[in-house]
Amino acid sequence: MKLTGSRLKLYGVLLLLVLAHVALRPRYMPSRYAPDFMLIALLFFAIRSRPGAGAVAGFLVGLLTDAVAPSGFGAGAFALTIVGFLAGWLKALVFPDNLLVNAVFVFAASWLRDALMVAASGALRGGDLGGRLLVVSPLDALSTAAAAVVALVIFRPWLRAAPAL
Amino acid sequence: MAIGAERYGSRADTAAFVVCVVLALVALALPAAVRTPVASALRRTVLLPAVAVEAEAASAREQRQSLTTLREQRDSLALAAARLPALEEENAELRALLRLRGRLQVGFATAEVLHQTGLADGLTLLLSAGRDAGVAPLAAVVAPSGLVGMIIAVDPHTSVAMAWTHPDFRVSATVVGDGVYGIVAARRGSAGGEVMELTGVPYRDALAPGTPVVTSGLGGVFPRGIPIGSVVGLLSEAAGWERTYLLRAAAPPAAVSHVLILSRSLAGDSLGAAFDTATAADTTQPPGGVVPAAPAARRARPRPARPPVPVSPGTSGPRPAGTPGPRPAGTSGPRPAGQP
Repeated sequence: MKLTGSRLKLYGVLLLLVLAHVALRPRYMPSRYAPDFMLIALLFFAIRSRPGAGAVAGFLVGLLTDAVAPSGFGAGAFALTIVGFLAGWLKALVFPDNLLVNAVFVFAASWLRDALMVAASGALRGGDLGGRLLVVSPLDALSTAAAAVVALVIFRPWLRAAPAL
Repeated sequence: MAIGAERYGSRADTAAFVVCVVLALVALALPAAVRTPVASALRRTVLLPAVAVEAEAASAREQRQSLTTLREQRDSLALAAARLPALEEENAELRALLRLRGRLQVGFATAEVLHQTGLADGLTLLLSAGRDAGVAPLAAVVAPSGLVGMIIAVDPHTSVAMAWTHPDFRVSATVVGDGVYGIVAARRGSAGGEVMELTGVPYRDALAPGTPVVTSGLGGVFPRGIPIGSVVGLLSEAAGWERTYLLRAAAPPAAVSHVLILSRSLAGDSLGAAFDTATAADTTQPPGGVVPAAPAARRARPRPARPPVPVSPGTSGPRPAGTPGPRPAGTSGPRPAGQP
């Protein structure tokens, strides 16, 4: 695969998002509702990739995420595989330049990721499960969607020209 | 690539998806004994840089929070330290007041000075004890260090005291260990401030600086032996008749926050023992009696021998008509309106 300039810019944006996740988030956003920059990076990649690449990327990101929280090892990989695949599959429906569509897309993906993770891990039941899916997950998804919009506005020139992989 | 192919992907995409899902389910199904080493291996290899950066970021956040906490603690300590001298001063005053209460035992009410308006305006003091506490008009108000003033108005729960700084305040005074009497009033004006003047001291009596001056008990308002102040120096003298001395007050009203209001029944008693001025209060003969010989240390210069002189209460000898000086006996306290 040939790395063109536009593709390098895309990878640069993804790298910045990963750095934001590991460096900025723990330092300046200690809240439990802090945005998930890794998910944003995955979605930015998947939406510009084939579904298979999105699935593989989701699996890898999920596996690494699970390694940090091994109690639900595999749940994140399972959830992000599906999210990555769906993001690649739905890319024809998502207009990369439309902020509102991107925000809704990221919100839905974040909530779906949480729902799949909770379902796969089986860690929550009853009221806890409802509270997680109806309160915590939407707030998480909201902050992640807001951060995705900001990132899209900042890096729009770099992302606009990025081709599908 | 056509839109249909983009949307549904190729077989390779589907295969990759299925493989990834199966691998994820396998990971989910791994027993804890297997998944823990796998996760640990990932953290130690692939995730090592990310974990290190994240740990560094978390440490930085903790340090920032610690710095904020330390700054808050430092500010709190600085604030507490700034209040410490005032608290120590109040503590010492309250301890002295407790000792005085223990010596007086009965016949007083404790009160807090509610509004101190400063040096210039501290002529009257609002006290937190009133008629319900047994406070009556003309009751003496004292602090551990000495006389503060007297009650001039009483409400059920509060009372108003005329401080000795008030222009109308007068108190009959005597010198500790001596037979010298005079009238003490506030001295205000160019050389004023919170200082007093002792007027009406006979010309033959010279007082050395530092000589303590206490209430004489004359006039029936203030008990004997309450410290008023100490002699600073000679202010003026009317040739051949009297001397006026400048006094340093024992209890500046602005510095007093808690006081004792003495019962009117104590007006005829001596509080020399309570204030450690027993020598003066109890050995000094009241006016009308024989004035004892003065200790040599109290005399700046010797007096000629003289027969016992009956001393009018509140005065220390005759003075020419029209000469400003102490008021007649029994006039300790506020002057009637119109009286100079």
